[in-house]
Amino acid sequence: MNAPTEITQAQLTGRHQADENAPIRIAVKDLNFYYGSFHGLKSVNLNFHDRQVTALIGPSGCGKSTLLRTFNRIYSLYPEQRAEGQIMLDGRNILDPRIDLNELRSKIGMVFQKPTPFPMSIYDNVAFGLRLYERLSKADLDIRVEESLRKAALWDEAKDKLKQSGMGLSGGQQQRLCIARTVAQRPEVILFDEPTSALDPISTGRIEELIEQLRSEFTIVIVTHNMQQAARISQFTAFMYLDELVEFGPTTRIFMNPEKRQTQDYITGRFG
Amino acid sequence: MDSANPLTAPTVREAAPISASRVRSGRRVADKILVVASTVATLIGIVVLGSILLMLIVEGVKGFSPLLFTEPTPGPGSEGGGIANAILGSLVLTFIGIVIATPIGVLAGTYLAEYGRASKLADLIRFLNDILLSAPSILIGLFVYTLMVRTMGSYSGWAGGVALAIIATPVIVRTTEDMLRLVPSTLREAGAALGAPPSIVIKAITWRAASAGIVTGIILALARIAGETAPLLFTALNNNSWFSPNLMGGIPNLPVMIYQFALSPYPNWQQLAWAGALLITITILALSIVARFVIKSERAR
Repeated sequence: MNAPTEITQAQLTGRHQADENAPIRIAVKDLNFYYGSFHGLKSVNLNFHDRQVTALIGPSGCGKSTLLRTFNRIYSLYPEQRAEGQIMLDGRNILDPRIDLNELRSKIGMVFQKPTPFPMSIYDNVAFGLRLYERLSKADLDIRVEESLRKAALWDEAKDKLKQSGMGLSGGQQQRLCIARTVAQRPEVILFDEPTSALDPISTGRIEELIEQLRSEFTIVIVTHNMQQAARISQFTAFMYLDELVEFGPTTRIFMNPEKRQTQDYITGRFG
Repeated sequence: MDSANPLTAPTVREAAPISASRVRSGRRVADKILVVASTVATLIGIVVLGSILLMLIVEGVKGFSPLLFTEPTPGPGSEGGGIANAILGSLVLTFIGIVIATPIGVLAGTYLAEYGRASKLADLIRFLNDILLSAPSILIGLFVYTLMVRTMGSYSGWAGGVALAIIATPVIVRTTEDMLRLVPSTLREAGAALGAPPSIVIKAITWRAASAGIVTGIILALARIAGETAPLLFTALNNNSWFSPNLMGGIPNLPVMIYQFALSPYPNWQQLAWAGALLITITILALSIVARFVIKSERAR
């Protein structure tokens, strides 16, 4: 981003204050990550608070997506990638090889940069995760699908075409479908990897509103390129640079009163 | 209008003179030559293909009659008859071939695209598959002859079906792998992120996303083996009457029937060979059109 970015007090107000006493949901301790021989994350220590939105910001390639992708160990689809250290969730280290990955992933949902509807009906998309881990009757499944689509603010648009392909929706609707699919599993944490970077401003606004609503039920971690977005929707912000965590704190403080020079330079648009 | 305003002031710029000398004349000539050369090459292709088709239609239609589909092949030198036994035999052989080749091909292609990926074993299989893809089909006939005809003591429809399956399998392996690789990895990640194990991601998501391409590959493999002659010479051979239901002994089939009848001195047989050739061509053409249709319907989705 070349143009200087100014985050004004106005953008930061009207947003709920960070609750620094909220219990810690995910505790990252001395996390290192490797892509083959490349050292992708260097000794990251960070806590994520329960039912708060934490934004991970930083320039491209700083490691924020890499960090996000360790929380559900999605990186393990690629054999050359590995993580070392501790990520504590519910008293267990999720990097422990004995952890059941599929169970972990049903507790930690993820929404991707590009909408990823499956090639099946809207209904089946939402029911996909439910059918994996819960034995529900048809009636219960219907209820859960409706509940999830309502939470993702897609019910009104989708209720008359549940049997139609999810691929036929617009980009913003597809992304909300992916959120509904994730929410349906009732996870503890939802990870968002730049969820609006492929969307138009109106769709972006709706997703941001949605994240604010979802915060009452889920712990949310969001990677974003857009600093205004981080300021608008998050309670906590972590600034990363060159594979390291530079600064972490309540969003208001990070944007109004950063402690580190690099953070100051980044949020005022001097580099990045 | 404020003429001092650079936004509204009309920009006057000297138009650069367009001179022919900027493009060397040699380049224009080369351009023309290329256009002419490629047009001529296309015309040659069309004329050759067109004359084959025309000849086939003219000669084949003469032999077309309802009897073709009801009567078995006539004895040498006798009149009348049809090619019903060869049509049915070809259907049976092709069916056996594709039924064997489809599961093996689709599963092997799935292994290469989803599980093996860049592993050494996958590379080796890919290499061998490419060799099999271009192996002379007569060799495959000889291989199955040694493997099945000699051990079973007789030519059979089973041997013919297996030979055709060996031809079809590498085609299906290749297209299945290619089509699965086109499925974006984000779709697999999204499936895994919901806690779906790889087997479910493959079954419910990637196969479905690639289904049109995979089906097209199977149809094209079907078209390929429907007209194969060489692998059948040593396996199903041919037979001038109806075949036994257990498929043992020679099985009449269109390609070998055409080969034998076309070489024969009997005008009736030659006529039937033309009709059979036209029938096979129409079938393969129809299969290719269906394959295109499948791809189109997928794109429209």
